[in-house]
Amino acid sequence: MATPILVEIGIALTAIAVAGGLAHRVGLSVIPAYILVGILIGPNPPSSLAGVPLTLVEHGEFIDVVAELGIVFLLFFLGLEFSIGQLLHDSRRVGTIGAVDLLVNFGIGAALGLAFGFGVVETLFVAGIVYISSSAVITKSLIDNGWVANPEAGPILGTLVFEDLLIAVYLAVLSVVAFGEGSIAEAAVAVGTAFAFLGALGLVAWYGGAHVERLFATRSDELFLLRILGVTTLIAGAALTFGLSEAVAAFFVGTAFGETTHTERIEHVVAPARDFFAAVFFFAIGLTTDVTLLAGVAGLLAAALVLTTAGKLASGVIAGYVYGLDSTRSVRVGLGLVPRGEFSLVIAALAAGGGDGALGTVIPAFAVGYVLAMSIVGTVLIQRADGITATVERAIQWD
Amino acid sequence: MTVYETEVPGVGHKFELELEKEERLIVLIHHDGNREVYLRPSEDADSRKLFSLSGKRARQLGSILEGAYFQPVEMDDIQVPLGESIIEWVEIDESSPLVGRSLHDANVRERTGVSVIAVQRGGETIANPKPEFSIASGDILVTLGDREQQTAFAGLAKADGET
Repeated sequence: MATPILVEIGIALTAIAVAGGLAHRVGLSVIPAYILVGILIGPNPPSSLAGVPLTLVEHGEFIDVVAELGIVFLLFFLGLEFSIGQLLHDSRRVGTIGAVDLLVNFGIGAALGLAFGFGVVETLFVAGIVYISSSAVITKSLIDNGWVANPEAGPILGTLVFEDLLIAVYLAVLSVVAFGEGSIAEAAVAVGTAFAFLGALGLVAWYGGAHVERLFATRSDELFLLRILGVTTLIAGAALTFGLSEAVAAFFVGTAFGETTHTERIEHVVAPARDFFAAVFFFAIGLTTDVTLLAGVAGLLAAALVLTTAGKLASGVIAGYVYGLDSTRSVRVGLGLVPRGEFSLVIAALAAGGGDGALGTVIPAFAVGYVLAMSIVGTVLIQRADGITATVERAIQWD
Repeated sequence: MTVYETEVPGVGHKFELELEKEERLIVLIHHDGNREVYLRPSEDADSRKLFSLSGKRARQLGSILEGAYFQPVEMDDIQVPLGESIIEWVEIDESSPLVGRSLHDANVRERTGVSVIAVQRGGETIANPKPEFSIASGDILVTLGDREQQTAFAGLAKADGET
């Protein structure tokens, strides 16, 4: 049965919309909902329900391209909202809690990867996936719970700023390390090219602010949107041809715009496009996920779930302590940083390009299972924080 | 009384105002222009959300709080509250005795009682012209005064040689 592509895309978008609506109703993050609906109606099992065929959407080129745009614009916005000022203004405290967060959680991830017999490259991926908290899920939870107006928002947001910067560097290095072919010399050249390209972008970001400003000054929102989409996609594509991470290039383009007065307008005009691309990206992750692989990583998943929740809780409590918060608020900082989401999936998407070995199959499956669990667990932990803090406080008793 | 400002990535800006004792008022301005206002009674208490406002409503509230006189404008009944005064637009033609003189020289206020509140010249409007502003032919003077004063000024601006 050859259905027109339009029907397939229509089914996909409608399914995404319905899933998002359901997630809103139960007060959970939309990210796991998009992934789940992708798994459900995608080509991988489950492929039928009570005899009804469920493979409604094949994994086609259109979805691939939009999903890739999703990665690009997720990172573009991360760069756009990245506040260098805030990092410098509070560099000592942010640096301290960021370092603790990195050591504890990246460390746990690396230990997990090695313990479960992965190679060095795979382990780097696992460590990144479990280290990076989800800005999207966390900021939404902070607002929903009113924590955003409390002192605990300081260390939580500070940690996220540090992680955002680190993920850009991490992706840049990882894309070269993981897919650099051949000799050490070639790898060094690749890394050099990468940083030269990013350095050029960085210079434009810092010194070309005024030119960028003029180039994008237009009355029409439509033209403005097209210019932003065009330039960002073009630079991300150019980065790919140089063998770099398109996500990192997009991050730098975002920081370039963050230095201009266009930030507010981009938030208004471009954010809806980002939301659409990103939703399709999460859906596409679901489409490509083979649930049968999850059984194979069940042990790793269970261990990761327990250890990395504990890890964020511990590093968060320390962060709260660094900021001079009381024990209740410090525990909240820990709970607030538990959700993982979009960036773990960006790393997974990078891994999925890694061929038929463990890197291209097991790692993405693990990431999807992990994000599904952690985005939901994290949200629930934040919603139930008061009961949990009471329990934890009794356990710690440091006051 | 300090005001703290922090950026909330992906959300907007947060401002904290210190009030009495440990109380703090927290204003969260979202990128979409909506504002949320919270009150935190003390350092250890949780913030209570007081209300949220659209950008437009927030600006109205702001001007009320600032003590600016605030009067909603009903489109079908525009009244400029000037009491007895009215605003007139008087064109100065080239034969007017005022041409070429500064506002200070012409001494309009003393002689007629009206104040020149603006001058329209070509496509431009000069608000609150300075005393040394020189009147040219073709200028339109915007004047504020009661009826009697406006009539006096209209007479002065015409070419009756009464300088």
